[in-house]
Amino acid sequence: MASLMIESLTKRFGSSIAVDGLDLKVREGELVALLGPSGCGKTTTLRMVAGFLPPTSGRVLFDTEDVTRLPAHKRATGMVFQSYALFPHMTAAQNVGFGLEMRGLGGAERQTKVEEALRLVRLSHLGGRLPRELSGGQQQRVALARALVINPKLFLLDEPLSNLDAKLRAEVRVEIRALQQRLGLTTLLVTHDREEALTMADRLVVMEGGRVRQIGSPRELYDAPQDAFVADFVGRCNILSGRRENETGFRTESGLVLPVDTAPNERDNANAFALRPERIAIQPGANGDLNGAVEAVTYLGSQTEYHVRIGREVFVVIQQTPGADEPLAALKPQDQVSLAWDRKAPRLVPQTSL
Amino acid sequence: MTLAEGMRGKGGASAKAASPGTALLVLPACLLVLGLLIGPMLLMFRISLNQFSPTQLMIEAFSFGNYARAAADPYYQEIILTTLGMALLCTALTLVIAFPAAYWLGRLQSRWKSLVVIATLFPLLVGNVVRSAGWMALFTREGLINTALLKAHLIGEPLTLMYTPKAVVFGIIAVVLPYMILTIASVIESIPRDLEDAAANLGASGFSQFWRVILPLSAPGVAAGSILVFVLCMNTYATAVLLGGPRFKMMAPAIFDQFVRGNNWPMGATLAFMLLAVTMSFTIFGSIAFARRYRAR
Repeated sequence: MASLMIESLTKRFGSSIAVDGLDLKVREGELVALLGPSGCGKTTTLRMVAGFLPPTSGRVLFDTEDVTRLPAHKRATGMVFQSYALFPHMTAAQNVGFGLEMRGLGGAERQTKVEEALRLVRLSHLGGRLPRELSGGQQQRVALARALVINPKLFLLDEPLSNLDAKLRAEVRVEIRALQQRLGLTTLLVTHDREEALTMADRLVVMEGGRVRQIGSPRELYDAPQDAFVADFVGRCNILSGRRENETGFRTESGLVLPVDTAPNERDNANAFALRPERIAIQPGANGDLNGAVEAVTYLGSQTEYHVRIGREVFVVIQQTPGADEPLAALKPQDQVSLAWDRKAPRLVPQTSL
Repeated sequence: MTLAEGMRGKGGASAKAASPGTALLVLPACLLVLGLLIGPMLLMFRISLNQFSPTQLMIEAFSFGNYARAAADPYYQEIILTTLGMALLCTALTLVIAFPAAYWLGRLQSRWKSLVVIATLFPLLVGNVVRSAGWMALFTREGLINTALLKAHLIGEPLTLMYTPKAVVFGIIAVVLPYMILTIASVIESIPRDLEDAAANLGASGFSQFWRVILPLSAPGVAAGSILVFVLCMNTYATAVLLGGPRFKMMAPAIFDQFVRGNNWPMGATLAFMLLAVTMSFTIFGSIAFARRYRAR
């Protein structure tokens, strides 16, 4: 395993710029996720690291080796494609053995390694099947085994879970993460799914318009976003425009003053108030500082989501679903409620940091 | 992947069984084939069993004597071997020339793609006779190529280009190339690009990507294109006559000679069926061998 260093990497397609001066270091054994909406440059970045696309400028280094001009087939990265890209005319075992074959590894030794890799993904019994005879989840595991068996310097995952159904996705997410940690794989993961990024990554890179918005641990990005875009992209968030009133309050554009401990929570040029829905407490009855009316109650099973209107602002509140006999369980639209939160919970951020 | 599989993959609804009444839709086509292909062929086969006399022309008979005579005659043996050799050579050369172009076309992502496809088809708009006549102007002793080479003092005396098997090979390839290119390109188009990236990612050089991934996966297109081209080559007429000259003989012109010049319908019909038999057996054996190599894993 190697570390990955990306230095002011830039890719232009004609007049449009897909990746704009990206700097990133992935330490050995670390899993870093590139997260962003489609067209943010995350996949282009991954393709440049794999060697499928030549960068317009900038450098890519594996450890201290500059691989910027090295063709893809000499880079020794192991990639799992969104489509899995299994060779349809080869069996699962042949797919897994392909990379070893390309490295000139012969008969018995190759077979041993293929069997080992298939065992790692619990597919030993299906090595003789063609990809079309395997389920989506099994195909995905063949793709994993195929990428790992070559002992790659770098493990690259391009939206690896997007073709799986929701239940399987949650399982495989945990499985890949466990494997990655056990084998100490230096991994670059590309995803547009924030849950995937938050659960799997050691560090997240939120990208937009070819540039990095923020880099940090999932917790840092979730709790202390740099700007409103990041706050909104890594999770649900109440974002209200306005300005700081004083040390203990933020005035929204509609004139509502919201309690916040501004000193530690304020970023430069802050003009938005960001607060996660689960940090808001809701009480029946209009007997608090912030009173409003319920607009909607959405039952989500373990959680319940309330939309509460205070003046011209609507707050999203997410709470553990109350027991059937608790007072909250009886809440319905038009009911009066009061909201409250810890003054340290909100963040004051700029709408954009770019 | 067959067309049917592709359609099933895209929309389940399209896979629903056709109602019995829709079977009638194939009736006109079937009638046409029965009346204008199968019927005449049966008639031809009957004629091939008749006998020929220079004075009475055709005599009713029922014998395979014509087949035995043609098969034993060194003259016809040579024509059959020439035809088969030309067809195999032209098919192989066409495949080699067409594959890179087909790959490029199949991978082309441009809004001009349909124009490129039309340009590929364009040679087919020019009839074989017109095209070959044009080549005659190019290839004769006083033709453009010889004149240019002589003027440039690259050669001392004119080259013999016309009326050689080489001229016929070039002529045939120019005719059949579009069929091969378009057949293979449509299969290449259906091979996901990711597969090449995946192969590269696993350490495959450009050549290995081609040899281990692209070529095996385009096998159905290679097979279909080769069969199509082989059959066209076996039945070459105008190109063989116009560029090969009077002494170069292939089957189709020989059959024409028997019917029209010799008035020998029984022998013409016999040769026609021999051509059909050789073409079909090579096509079928070729397909089986190919299927064994690529489809059985």
